[in-house]
Order: sequence, then structure tokens, then C-alpha cells
Amino acid sequence: MSEQKGVLVIGGGMSGLTTAIEIAEAGYNAFIVERNPYLGGRVAQLNKYFWKLCPPTCGLEIQFKRIRNNDRIKLFTLAEVEDIKGEEGNFDVTIKVKPRYVNDKCVGCDACAQACPSYRDNEFNYGMNKTKAAYLPFDQAFPFQYVVDTQHCPEDCKKPCLDACKYDAIDFNMKTDALNLNVGAIVMATGWNLYDAKKIDNLSFGNIQNVITNMMMERISAPNGPTNGKIIRPSDGKEVKKIAFVQCAGSRDDNHLPYCSYICCLASLKQATYVREQYPESKVQIFYIDLRTPGLYENRFLSKIKADTNVTLTKGKVAKVSEDSETKDVIIEAEDVQGGRKIKERFDMVVLAAGMVPSTKDSKALKDVSYTPEGFVDTSTKKGVYAVGTLKSPVDVAMSVRDATGAALKGIQSLKR
Amino acid sequence: MSEQIITPDLGFVKDIIASGGDSVKKCYQCAACTVVCNVTPDSKPFPRKEMIYAQWGLKDKLINNPDIWLCHNCNDCTKYCPRGARPGDIFSAMRRKFIEDNSIPSLMGKVVTQTKMTLLALAIPFILFLAVLGITSHLRIPEGDIVYSKFFPILYIEIIFISAVSLAGIVYLASLVRFWNNMRKSNSQSFSKGFIPALIETLAEFLKHSRFGKCGPNADRRIPHLLVFFAFIGLAITTIWVTYYYYVPKVNTPIPLTDPMKWLANISASALLIGGALLMINRTKNKGFISKSSSFDWTFAIIIMLLCITGILTELIRLAGISTLAYPIYFIHLIFVFYTIVFFPYSKLAHMGYRSLAITYSKMTDRDISA
Repeated sequence: MSEQKGVLVIGGGMSGLTTAIEIAEAGYNAFIVERNPYLGGRVAQLNKYFWKLCPPTCGLEIQFKRIRNNDRIKLFTLAEVEDIKGEEGNFDVTIKVKPRYVNDKCVGCDACAQACPSYRDNEFNYGMNKTKAAYLPFDQAFPFQYVVDTQHCPEDCKKPCLDACKYDAIDFNMKTDALNLNVGAIVMATGWNLYDAKKIDNLSFGNIQNVITNMMMERISAPNGPTNGKIIRPSDGKEVKKIAFVQCAGSRDDNHLPYCSYICCLASLKQATYVREQYPESKVQIFYIDLRTPGLYENRFLSKIKADTNVTLTKGKVAKVSEDSETKDVIIEAEDVQGGRKIKERFDMVVLAAGMVPSTKDSKALKDVSYTPEGFVDTSTKKGVYAVGTLKSPVDVAMSVRDATGAALKGIQSLKR
Repeated sequence: MSEQIITPDLGFVKDIIASGGDSVKKCYQCAACTVVCNVTPDSKPFPRKEMIYAQWGLKDKLINNPDIWLCHNCNDCTKYCPRGARPGDIFSAMRRKFIEDNSIPSLMGKVVTQTKMTLLALAIPFILFLAVLGITSHLRIPEGDIVYSKFFPILYIEIIFISAVSLAGIVYLASLVRFWNNMRKSNSQSFSKGFIPALIETLAEFLKHSRFGKCGPNADRRIPHLLVFFAFIGLAITTIWVTYYYYVPKVNTPIPLTDPMKWLANISASALLIGGALLMINRTKNKGFISKSSSFDWTFAIIIMLLCITGILTELIRLAGISTLAYPIYFIHLIFVFYTIVFFPYSKLAHMGYRSLAITYSKMTDRDISA
């Protein structure tokens, strides 16, 4: 890393990674501050991208390689920005780095996890399974380094972990660290969270086991997910041969998220292909208000799925969901608007196409930055601070990446001013 | 596909917007309302389709549509509407508009359904009574025991009110017949049930108010509305009873408090007071969503409460023996009685008949919900 000032990128998801890499490859320094113990953010949790239906881990792998080959990028995982002071060209940033309890000697051999007697909920899989308290976040995690969750690893759990490691990689003496950086620009890339579907009381998420969210569906379908990619339902592990997608679960709703989350229609169409591929006889029904497949997606993607006679697209918002207590099947009610009837249909599992909430909705960490009522960032108020991707509006990965390239240039311009 | 020419009635849309339905254009046809509605039939359900008819000003599709009367203003739709389009309020506005348009003579509909005309509507009985009492030199506080017939002789009351009831009854009946015929003309003609059995079923349902019980956020309206419903029935019986006393056993008013007729009268009046008050309180309660009661609704609710309160005061002040207060209150009470009876076909009370017919029709055409 050269001595010149760099750009701070907050968030190591697809937007943040791209921003930092573009800055570094243009010859400037970049610092990535990531809260999780791994990079990749939401993209790392996806099974496939729409519309090409290729695995995102492939694209992530390329990004990780670009980072490895570039010494202008400094990476902090398990880190959060504590404080920012100063102006464009001269920001003083305080970063808090939480201990990983695993050092750089880790080779990822899994011995600590195998020896570890304690478990923790796996939030990477939305709590659908557990990992050991010493764990690798996911199979392609970068950095490829284990973590120990000491909150779930009491004293009697620590010793077996320590003993199991042949490389002296585990260190329970690590402490929370505070670091100071001086940077010329800041790019906010903290991404999005899934809308809490429990708040949509009439859709019964959280009360009915076989009602899941679209992000849970990604994890269930992913080969590295809790079911190793087998699409089975939570209540009894039954193969999901009849599935419904409930669009606008929270989005376009004044009581929840007043905006369209942009990706959910495409995501449900994509997830329909997961089920259709895995079970050739399966039936998929997608309930929508309007199918929003902007631009080229309509011809390239929607038309293909429409051609599948086992996929039914029904215009009508689902507003009631109940459970057959015996079979654990899910019964949903909607008005088939084009058919002019109220319908009740039974499904093995129901996926709620929940919307996107900018991470800045709840944590408005940066002062001097203005936010929309929905929590999206409006950076116009502070020079040298930029937001990228889903922090500004709901967008897909492709748009986030394009936006990130632009943010990289803006960051560099701030360094030069 | 055959071409269809749509002629929007923009005046109708403006009327809906003006009478509490200002959110009509917010609807984007997601159909959540139809799903959460517990009182709609499954085939051609409401309120989604009516929302687009209203937006487009398709008055013809709404005005003879039984569904606007199948709606019980539960407001489940309004609560779950993602756009704040308040279908419940739009339906109230449509019913108000329907009552106005289906009125005979149509001028009366305008006078009664428009709040700014309320004072004019109340002025009619006021001037009429003043004139009758003035001409017959009764416009003074009578001496001695308080007996209201000394102030307003029974003969005059009967001439005025029997003609009023007859007149209102005839025009109301004519409005109902017109509604029924239009409804039959513009909807399904295949009947699975006869009119009389369907009507009996409907009335039996009213005695229990079972549909109200299906309402989600507004289910607690059932008991108050039931009280008001039975109060009006009780008061109607009382009126017939007192007329019978006057002509057959020749018993004059005031009837002693021990008489069963008086019991019925007092119980009914109390039920009206309690039920009416509860309904008004219920309206102002926060149920987790916004609903705008139109001024038409409020005006009428207030007039019914005043009718009830002046009626009770007429009795209490007579018992207290304050004649200077008793006669004027009685006079005011008669104004509200006149208003309620004569303007019945144009007021919110008119929903009684329209709703009965609409539910009967839905039962005849297999669009009934198991109540």
C-alpha cells in the first residue's frame, strides 16, 4: 500500500467489493470495512443469479481473486465504523474491529469445528440450521478462515477447540481493537436487509412453518445451504412439489414498504426454475399485483418461464394464509382477478417475496447525510461521502456493480480535489 | 374481441370524492381487499371490481349493483389496503350517492343527503308546526298538569304524521321497487330460490346480525347496531300501541309508568341511546387504520341522537313537572320525529330496505355467503 490517502468503503458486499477493487485497480488505496467475518454480503447467500441462472459464487470468486492480487486494498472483517470526522480529502475514521479468535495461521482444516461441543444458530442460513461455535461462515468464505462465536462458546467449549488446532491458529486472548484511518473519501455500501415478514400479520410468516421468505428459499436451494440444495419443506422435510410465490410481501404497501423492491418478481421467477428443475412434475403458482420484469428481463427471462405450462401466473395479491394443522400444508387465499373469483389453494410450501430494506433504515450511522423517509441515502448533503447500490434504491446485482464503478470514480475524484 | 365504449360519468367520480371517498384514485387493483373481506361472495367478489368502476366513473355498473349493499362497512379492506385507498369509505360514499339518486322526488334526495341542506330540512317541520299551532292559537304554554295534547292536539298530530308516514312510505316503496327492477335488469336472471323464502331468510339473519360478527376490525359494531335496530322496532310498536290505546280503550296520554307499553317505550329509548352512543364512540376509536365517516353519516347520527335525547327529556321533564321547559322540548322532539319519518327514504335509514333487497337478491342468485 502506498502512502497516499485512500477511500474508505463501508461494506464488503458486491457493491463495496466492486468499488474498492475498481479504486485499487485504478491505482489508489481502498479500505474495506465489513461487519461480517466474510465478504460477499447478500450475493454470497444466493443460489443463482437471474436471468442467466449461474451461481454467484463464480462471480464472487473472481472478485476475491482481484483482491488477493492487489496490495492497494486493506480489508477489515468483523469491523464497524465507530466515528467519522472531517471533510472531503481529510476524513478521520475510527474503526472498531471485533476479535475473530482465529489468526492468520488458520488453514481451514475444520478440526476446531469438529472438536467444538457447542452450537449456534446459523444466521447465514436465516436460522434454518446450526453451526458449531467454531465455524467457517460458508464453504467459499473469504477470508478462508474460521471464526469462534464466544457468546455461544462457554469456558468448557474453548478448550477442545484450542486443543484440536494443530496450527496455533486459535487465540482466545484477542481483544476488540480500535483503529484510526485517514481517508479522502467514503463510500457507503452497507446494502440491504430483508423486510421482516413477521410484520405482515395476514401472511402468517413465523406462525406457519412452511411459509418461508425468498431469501430462505435461496438458502434451501443452494448446494451449500441447510438442505444441501434439496428443496424440502421445513415442517417435515417433504419434497416441495407444489409451491406458491406471494409477490409484494411487504413491498408496494403503505403499511410496510411503500416502494417496489424491484428484484422480487425476478427472484420468484428464478426460484420457480429451481423447483421446476429439481422436480419435473412440480407445479408452481406465482401470485402478483403486476409482474415487474423491467427491460430485457421480459424477453430473456419472463417469456421462458411463461412457456412452462407447469408455472401459473395469477394476478391477485395474496392476503390470507392459513395452515392445515394435520398435513402442515399451506392454504392461501387470493382473488383471481382475471378469472373473477376468490380462490383458496393448497400448497406444500409458500414463499413470501419479501422486499428490500436499506441497511440505513435502522442504522443511520453517518451524520451529515440525509435520508429519505424509507431510509434510503441521499448523499447530496455531504461532499466526499457517496452511497452505492441498494442504499439508494432497490436494485439488482448488475445495477449495483455498474453503480459501484461510478462510485469508484467519484471516490477517486474526491482524492484528487 | 368486441369493442366496448366506456362512457365515464365524471360527475359521479367527483361526488364520490366529495363525500368521503377522496382516496378512490389510489387503488391499484391488487385485490387484497377482496381476499380479506369476510362478507363477499366468492364469485365476482367485491370490493376490488367496484373500486375500478368508481375510478372510471362507471355509474351504471355501480348503481344497480347489489354488492354495494352486501358490504357492511367492516373495513377489513381499508385496514389491509396497501395504498390507503379505503374501499370501506368508497362504498359508504357510493351508498350515499345511490340513496340520493334513487330518491323520489329526486330533489328530496339532494336536500337530505347534503349536509349543508340539513337546516333547511329541519326548517320544514319547524315552520309547519309553528303555522299549525299559531293559526289554531295553541302557541303558548298550557296551564296545569303537563299533558302534551293540550299543547299539540292529538288530531293535528295524527293528521300531520299519518299523512307524513303515508307519503314517506309510498315514495320509499316506489324507490325500493325501482331498485329491485333495475337490479334484476342488470344482473343475473337465474334464480335458485323464490323471493319470499329468500326474504324470510334475510330477515331472520337481521334478527341476529350475524354478518356483523364476521367483520374483522369493526366486529364490535354488532351489539350497538343490534340495539339501535331493535330500538327502532320497539319504538314503532310503541307508536302503534299508543294509537290503539287512544282509539280502542280510549286511554289518553300520558300513559302511566306501570303500563307494559310504557316499559317497551322506555326500554327502546334507552336501547337507542346506548346503541347510538356506542356507535358514535366506535367511530372515533382508533382501530389501527384511517377511515373517514362522511358528513352525511355524522349529520344523520347526530339527528338520531337528538331525536332520542329530546324524546327521553320530554318524558323526564314532564315527570319533573317543569312545564316551561317540557312543552318547548316536546316541540323540538316533534321536529326530529318528523325529520326521521318524512326523510326516512332519503336518509341513512333507507339502507334498511335496500340492504334487505340486495341480500335477498344475493340469496336468490346463489351469491349468498353462509352468514
